[in-house]
Amino acid sequence: MITLRKYLKQSATYKFFTQFGIIFADFLDTLGKITQMGLHVAKCVLKGEIEPKELILQCERFGISSLPITLSIVGMTSMIVASQVALEMVKQGGSGLIGLLMTMLIVREVGAIMSGFALTSMIGSSLASELATMRVTEQIDAIDVLSVDSVSYLFVPRVLSGLIMMPVVVVIASIVGVIVGAVTSDIFAGLTYRAYFDSAWLGLYMKDLGVCLLKAATFGATIALISCSCGYFASGGAKGVGLATNKAVVWSFIAIVVLDMVFAILFFF
Amino acid sequence: MSIEVKNLVKAFDEKTVIDDISFKVNDGEILAIVGFSGSGKSTVLKLICGLIPYDSGEIITSEGDIAMVFQYSALFDSLDVEDNISFALHERKELRKKFTEKEIKEIVAEKLELVGLKGIESKFPSELSGGMQKRVSFARAIVTNPNTILYDEPTAGLDPMSSTLIEDYIVSLKHEINAASIVVTHQMSTITRTADRVIMLYDGKIVFEGTPEELLKQETPYTKQFVTASLEGPMQMQA
Repeated sequence: MITLRKYLKQSATYKFFTQFGIIFADFLDTLGKITQMGLHVAKCVLKGEIEPKELILQCERFGISSLPITLSIVGMTSMIVASQVALEMVKQGGSGLIGLLMTMLIVREVGAIMSGFALTSMIGSSLASELATMRVTEQIDAIDVLSVDSVSYLFVPRVLSGLIMMPVVVVIASIVGVIVGAVTSDIFAGLTYRAYFDSAWLGLYMKDLGVCLLKAATFGATIALISCSCGYFASGGAKGVGLATNKAVVWSFIAIVVLDMVFAILFFF
Repeated sequence: MSIEVKNLVKAFDEKTVIDDISFKVNDGEILAIVGFSGSGKSTVLKLICGLIPYDSGEIITSEGDIAMVFQYSALFDSLDVEDNISFALHERKELRKKFTEKEIKEIVAEKLELVGLKGIESKFPSELSGGMQKRVSFARAIVTNPNTILYDEPTAGLDPMSSTLIEDYIVSLKHEINAASIVVTHQMSTITRTADRVIMLYDGKIVFEGTPEELLKQETPYTKQFVTASLEGPMQMQA
């Protein structure tokens, strides 16, 4: 019996399920912590515990400092799509639909999702490593000992700045994306700007713009909440900071894709 | 009475690190908690100030603030010295309403003067030496005039002169604000220069309680091993 148990413990199946159990437990633990922090932030916001000075600083960080990289990523994605689509559409006689296709694609998906990825890698990782460093150097403990609510102080301005600034970033990035699409279509397929912009507005409705802004705000708040939570619950030294940052980026990427799917099902099916 | 700890128990992952300890610290008294690394000294401080929850027992403190001076200062590195010290005054709702900006500046200057660091308000923690950072963290801790101050290895990693300076500040703060203080340390000079009473922890239990003089007499196997820093004795270092 003992031999059988020992044999089972060494088997690949046992190891697989053990590892799976550990990963699943960690997943539930992280999800629980993010939810707990989200509820705490909501409570603080409802009570009006917002520090305007800190909020402005975080908005500047979330919006202005991230703009160059976000615009570059959305612009380049738009260029890649337009360069491949425009020529083929012209060949197939669909040149009148290039503007429509590009605008729909950028406003409904590319603008928000690529900005989300850009902001995760630039701002999310920085939020997670900042809070994780504060945790491992006992700065968060110091905030708590001074009887200041560390979640309210650290999370509220960061999550609100994501909620406020991400729609602004996505709108600017989408405008840049549409313009880059027009320029690329002209270069690669000889499509005039007039032909591009004449069709650009045909498939665009107010609902698209509304969903785009709502999605952007949700992405922004989610990226900030996940990143702050991963950093806040970090432990250990430099390795702990690295793990927290890594976790924040992975979780934010997955959350963006899952939320995007939810938005698509809710609003476009 | 300012702090009373009764039958305190704390375990991490089934390992009991604080095992049924009780002690009292009165106002204006300094208690040193000593012991080898891993004996649970810092855990006691974190339990008292509420950073971690305890499993059973009781901690009774007088009304008022509990302040803590961290081992590595734990200053907010994105804030300058003035903002570090005035942090609680700015961020705590009841204190924010109580003081004007001018008054906060005056309090910061007064606390900095108390720790012998006049005129460094605009400096950032990275621009200060280890000893100066520690003194700024003292100033931050006492800004709300707490009636309990916890020091986690206040002289660890400092040169002998800086250690003496810090020890003098601990004693002068005792007289200045009459707070009940607990100093976690394993440095003999800190024990002898600051403490009124000493308790020694080993394996989560109190194995000695007395005055610094009694500790130095080495009358028990525990005190003898601690004072002589011997590897031979009842206390074994954990691997």
